[in-house]
Amino acid sequence: MCVTYYMTNGTAKEAEVFENLKLELRRGCLTLAVLTQLRTERYGYTLRKALADDGLEIDEGTLYPLLRRLESQGLLVSQWREEDKRNKRFYLLSPVGVQTLEQLLSEWQRINTSLSKILQEA
Amino acid sequence: MSKTTSGNPMDLLDRYLQAVGFWLPGAQQQDIIAELSEDLHSQIEEKETELGRSLNETEIEDILKRRGRPLLVANRYLPQRSLIGPVLFPIYWFVLKLVAGFYLLPWILVWIGMMSFSPSYRAEHTSAGWFGAIASAWSAWWFIALAALGTVTIVFAVLQQFQIKSRFLEDWNPHKLPPARNPNQIPRSGSVIEVVANLMFGIWWIDMMSTRVLLDRPEIRIVVAPVWRYFFWGFLLLAVINAVAAGVNLARPYWTVPRASVRLATGCIASALFCWMSRASLVAEITGAHIPAARAHEITNALNLWMDRVFPMVLAAGVVIALVDIRRTLRVKKAAPVQLKGAVSVAVI
Repeated sequence: MCVTYYMTNGTAKEAEVFENLKLELRRGCLTLAVLTQLRTERYGYTLRKALADDGLEIDEGTLYPLLRRLESQGLLVSQWREEDKRNKRFYLLSPVGVQTLEQLLSEWQRINTSLSKILQEA
Repeated sequence: MSKTTSGNPMDLLDRYLQAVGFWLPGAQQQDIIAELSEDLHSQIEEKETELGRSLNETEIEDILKRRGRPLLVANRYLPQRSLIGPVLFPIYWFVLKLVAGFYLLPWILVWIGMMSFSPSYRAEHTSAGWFGAIASAWSAWWFIALAALGTVTIVFAVLQQFQIKSRFLEDWNPHKLPPARNPNQIPRSGSVIEVVANLMFGIWWIDMMSTRVLLDRPEIRIVVAPVWRYFFWGFLLLAVINAVAAGVNLARPYWTVPRASVRLATGCIASALFCWMSRASLVAEITGAHIPAARAHEITNALNLWMDRVFPMVLAAGVVIALVDIRRTLRVKKAAPVQLKGAVSVAVI
């Protein structure tokens, strides 16, 4: 019984550690993916769909606050517009956002190259 | 019990949006709710297209449940705030532990000691029975605890605001850090002081306290009870042991299990002797040329009573000393064999 308890708790703890690390790993990647997708104007729902179609699931509770934060940082611009008889908020990269995305992508390439090298060595 | 709906499934959605909006700041509330509403409507529409019919209340409820509790959803839009931030929190926690360990816990121990060993204190506080005494002490302790912890929290909350503005904790100098210390190392200066103090005490003790007549002057004469001989020899023996142990510590300045155990034993014996002394009605006789016999008797009783009353404090001090010594002994026991500079293993003694 003690062994079962230990194993169950041990597994739960390991899963929690993994989830936390995964979250950390995803956080920066999500920002990069959102900025990249918003080279084309989209509203929240279609943005989420587009990301999911490319294999990057993101829940609404993460996406919308992220969009607001990026907008408050001047990387996005938004506009309410009517489409299909409903008001929707459309987001697009701002000129500062375009510039920042370029820098982030080159940083991403650099990290990716280094990591690939490290993984090959390991 | 769930609140009733108007029968319109979309009513749940309105209630959900209202509940989220309640937690949002006024300036952004409308904007965020409009966007959230739009997103939920899109999700509902997509599902309806997929099923070819309108969603019922259970299905809408399912969508809202997946979206999350209104407070949590709203919380994601709010800036991360904390009364005491991660930079100050370790210091705050440390201070709380100090307050608990050196103020709140001793308060309880002193109360227990006073209730156990001071008849007058016990009589004064148990007039409403034991239950009343415990309830009264408990409420007094909570008040003290809340006041102490609340004060510390307020001070740190103010410091947090100050830190946010001035970033004073980021301005630091490695040279101002305290020197690295080994808790099992014994400072030589401390050992020298211990040797000298114990020797001086021993000489004074033999010279002045070896007989039952502790003070013999024309104006006053104090004689202690025959039991004094135990205290005399007991404290003398302890002084000798302590002086020898301090001498060894001076030569080998690191704690080992035997020496920590000796310190624990002498600490416990000294505490026990002090406790015994305070309850032994030690003062047997006081006489003086100008002191009437009745007055001398009164003074004798008053001194013995006073010593009896300080017993809880003596006991509490003894317990603290014993705990410190036990902690040291356990720490030394746990530690790996001590290595001197040059990686030479140290002998056990």
